[in-house]
Amino acid sequence: MTLPTDPALHARRKAKERRFKTMSYAAILVAGVFLVFFFADILRQGLPALKQAEILVPIHFTQDILEYPESSLPPEYVPLVSRGVVRLFPNELHATPKLLGSTQERWVLATADVDQFLKGKPNRLKAKERRTAERLQSEGRLRLAWNIGFFTNGDSKLPEMAGVFAAAVGSVYVLLVTLAFSFPIGVMAAVYLEEFAPDNRLMQIIEVNINNLAAIPSILFGLLGLAIFIQFFGIPRSSSMVGGLTLGLMTLPVIIIATRAAIRAIPSAIREGAMALGATRWQVVWDHILPLALPGILTGTIIGLARAIGETAPLILVGMVAFIPQPAASFLEATSVLPAQIYTWASDSQRAFVERTAAGIVVLLVILLSMNALAIFLRTKYERKW
Amino acid sequence: MTQPLTIVLFLGLIPLAAFGYRLGRGKRLAQSATPSPFAGSAGIFGWYAVLGAAKPALAINLAALGLYLAGILSIPMPVVAASTVVAAMVGLFLALRAIQPHFRAREAIEKTIQRMLFVASLISILTTIGIVASVIFEAIHFFRLVSLWEFITGTQWNPDDALRPDGTVDSSLFGAVPLFAGTLLITCIAMSVAIPVGLFSAICMSEYASPLIRRIAKPTLEILAGIPTVVYGFFAAITVSPLVVETAGRLGLQADSTNALSPGLVMGIMIIPLVSSLADDVISAVPQNLREGSLALGAFPSETIKRVVLPAALPGIVSACLLAVSRAVGETMIVVMAAGLQPVLSANPLRGMTTVNVRIVDAFTGDQAFDSPETLSTFGLGLALLVITLGLNIISLTVIRKFRQRYE
Amino acid sequence: MRGFCKVLLAAALFVASTGLAQARDQVKIVGSSTVFPFSSFVAEELGATGKFKTPVVESTGSGGGHKLFGAGMGENTPDIANSSRRMKRSEFERAEQNGVTDISEALIGFDGIVIAQNKDDAPLKLTLEQLALATIAEVPKDGKLVPNPYTSWDQISPDLPKRPIVIYGPPTSSGTRDAFEELVIEKVAHKLGSYEKGYKKVRQDSAYVPAGENDNLIVQKLAKDKNAVGIFGYSFLEENQDTIQAATIDGVTPSLDTIAQGTYPISRSLYFYVKNAHYDKIPGLKEYVELFMSERMIGDKGALKRIGLVPLPADVREKARQKVLNRVKLTKDELQ
Repeated sequence: MTLPTDPALHARRKAKERRFKTMSYAAILVAGVFLVFFFADILRQGLPALKQAEILVPIHFTQDILEYPESSLPPEYVPLVSRGVVRLFPNELHATPKLLGSTQERWVLATADVDQFLKGKPNRLKAKERRTAERLQSEGRLRLAWNIGFFTNGDSKLPEMAGVFAAAVGSVYVLLVTLAFSFPIGVMAAVYLEEFAPDNRLMQIIEVNINNLAAIPSILFGLLGLAIFIQFFGIPRSSSMVGGLTLGLMTLPVIIIATRAAIRAIPSAIREGAMALGATRWQVVWDHILPLALPGILTGTIIGLARAIGETAPLILVGMVAFIPQPAASFLEATSVLPAQIYTWASDSQRAFVERTAAGIVVLLVILLSMNALAIFLRTKYERKW
Repeated sequence: MTQPLTIVLFLGLIPLAAFGYRLGRGKRLAQSATPSPFAGSAGIFGWYAVLGAAKPALAINLAALGLYLAGILSIPMPVVAASTVVAAMVGLFLALRAIQPHFRAREAIEKTIQRMLFVASLISILTTIGIVASVIFEAIHFFRLVSLWEFITGTQWNPDDALRPDGTVDSSLFGAVPLFAGTLLITCIAMSVAIPVGLFSAICMSEYASPLIRRIAKPTLEILAGIPTVVYGFFAAITVSPLVVETAGRLGLQADSTNALSPGLVMGIMIIPLVSSLADDVISAVPQNLREGSLALGAFPSETIKRVVLPAALPGIVSACLLAVSRAVGETMIVVMAAGLQPVLSANPLRGMTTVNVRIVDAFTGDQAFDSPETLSTFGLGLALLVITLGLNIISLTVIRKFRQRYE
Repeated sequence: MRGFCKVLLAAALFVASTGLAQARDQVKIVGSSTVFPFSSFVAEELGATGKFKTPVVESTGSGGGHKLFGAGMGENTPDIANSSRRMKRSEFERAEQNGVTDISEALIGFDGIVIAQNKDDAPLKLTLEQLALATIAEVPKDGKLVPNPYTSWDQISPDLPKRPIVIYGPPTSSGTRDAFEELVIEKVAHKLGSYEKGYKKVRQDSAYVPAGENDNLIVQKLAKDKNAVGIFGYSFLEENQDTIQAATIDGVTPSLDTIAQGTYPISRSLYFYVKNAHYDKIPGLKEYVELFMSERMIGDKGALKRIGLVPLPADVREKARQKVLNRVKLTKDELQ
């Protein structure tokens, strides 16, 4: 090495040092800037979906609407009002026959195109319809109201009716199945490997295998779910049972690895102390190891579950990407899940679905980030340093 | 078949188990004269009785299920249910008989528990076997139709037309090279983002950053890792792709809206946290005295990092990069949503191209016939995917184990 | 730890208990991605207005749909398969082997593709071959395939206008694109001969710009750019007849009549297939089929027309309706 007394060399080295340091900070900055840009972009696209165009229309309840529900509205309103509203008029008349012959003024859902028009986005309104919409707007008969339907409706082919509720319910179902499957088995496997396993060939294979399993592409778990759960066990396609089990197999290695780490962190003095008092191996595990490792196990489990409910690829293969607008009533009924819903909306050709997709993403991200925050909270609050 | 099963479970076995628990516990309490100090409390005997009943019941059910699924014998459900209950009662009876003053119930139970734990740890192996099996049988079927050699070396992927009218298959149209080239190109783009950024952030966090910056930067990177891939896919398709097309247009270049660049870039961002956390671990594992030695000789921190720390951590970093590659190769949603379907062989990242994973998803959702060679080909592709990711992972694990051994 | 385990046990029991499977009370539909929007529209309509659960519609592709549909009878199999082509004889035979013998076929309408341009342009009169040559990836030259050299319409044929070729067409993900490739490019490539069998590549240079299908953007582009030509589903032309006009193909102007009669060459029929034996078992199946075949849905003023289905001519429609509502059994001889 050249002697550090050479001032020119020293300056050069110093400049190099500065460059290197700047680059390393820049790398973190890149990630941060991306994150800011990403969230800003998703929010920019998704937040408009919180508002929804509504229109004040006079509804004439006549006998004709049983066959042609559209005839209840003045003709110029018909192309502006959502079909999801109009198609329910006959039912309403059936339910309350005394409406017959009356006229009611009511705020109802407008079509997605009117909605997009009000928000200044590209839409498919024809020139005449646009003039009507403008006139109604100036008369105060057209407004943007809070979009509660987005959180209470299921999927729909009409963008203005589409919501995330059914998918969210499906996600909860899938989450329960995944948890009920992967948590006990994962913890049991980890306990065995850490506390009971003999040091033999089979155990080494299992060790390597668990690490490998964690790195297998998720889509291959979909092929497995299709082959084992649907074709072999005959569990219904698209059900939360099949989706949850598939994701459960995927989450298993995550939970095993986290549990093992948590168990390993417990000093052996605890075990030895308990054993010295006459506890059996299982008593040591059940009364000492598991309670102490629980925060670590839970953290790992929550992170694994958060990954599982954000997963889409394996669910495509087990039939969960489908049009399923109603929340499932049981674990064997077809259901949609949030990421699958996002995927189907993202691939829909109607532009009005773009903001729905982004809003769905916001919902999903809020759920996932709060799960992760919970994990971090558990880790910091209950983690013990030995 | 779930309905009778549930009836058996709730009307037959659970009451029986509760009953068994009371019997076992009762018998123990009646014997309370001089219990052995190692035998355990009375409740344990109750549990022993329950297990005694559950084991044969479970065995009968599993056997029936196995026979049914293997297609050998389909035992009518009432028969299974009845024999389950009978077996449970016999088991319960035997267990109760075993409860004697000097019987050590706890030991017996713990043996059963250990066996259960062992079975749980086998499930991971079964999963792997299951994945391999679910892919390999259909893949063999596929490679009977299409020669493996043409699959690996052929440059034309056009399964739509591969089925000749006489029912044979034109192997030459199943050349998977364009698909793997697409995967490779997108992986390369992703790596050219993820490796430098991930590595430099790891260096920054372990060598330069103050604790405060570390506290902010680490969760930031973790958030990146927690965003679901379908969201990245949407972002790549809706935001990044138009940006790329527009930028390319300004530069006078023609870019497809399904270009390989956008999924590659976004995937790179997604993989940054993986690289940075793994690299952070290995860099922190380099013994402090190596750094101190170098700094004591007058080297700047950057020189220390470049000439001492990184070479020492190299195996770990290589292993992190391999894992990152494996992750990129296996990533599906981003490419499904943002990359195209055209199997073109090109090195131009602005062109639309397809990847292995896109084809697998497409074959399951597209309009092709289900028992066609195209659908079978997905299993061939899946097998290739499995081999590649497993290979990368095993190499990476071996390398990192060597690295750990060096400093332990 | 104990409390936590109890919670977990309760969760597991809950999972197990709702696993109590009762008979399926929901129609299951699989099949073509082209029919998927129509099918799910009807499903939603049934769920919203009737007393039935909304049917589950899965887009598995026509082939995938027939495979699941023909896999057997019973609750675990779909009741209906959507299809953007007629069922194949082989698929029917397979279904028969698996016990699916009593199938009815429902013809629901057409999927027509139009080529359109600005209203003020001189009418564009194309032949199918000229259209294919403008959009195909490669053309034969001296016995070899070379990348499509045409940049202006008059290079293809002198009687076409001297306008640069700028085509806004569907992206690869769309069903319209599949149909276009099949009905235009593949057909012409087959006729011209020098292509390999089943060639249907669309050019990827700047002459063909992929753009969303049901999209106002194409119309806006056509309104602004008088050189541009757009490819989209027929319904969209009808909605925008004040700004755009259709090109004739082989002398035929696309209209409801010409598409329905099949004289307009770029169209195909859409179907669904239903298991007659499932009518008694699955609540809502009958109502779904009735609703789908009703005038309200596939009629001349039906709701599906608005989202792109070209209605059948009235008499054909009535016949198709009678056929499926009377549960006329599909026979092998009808199929190819």
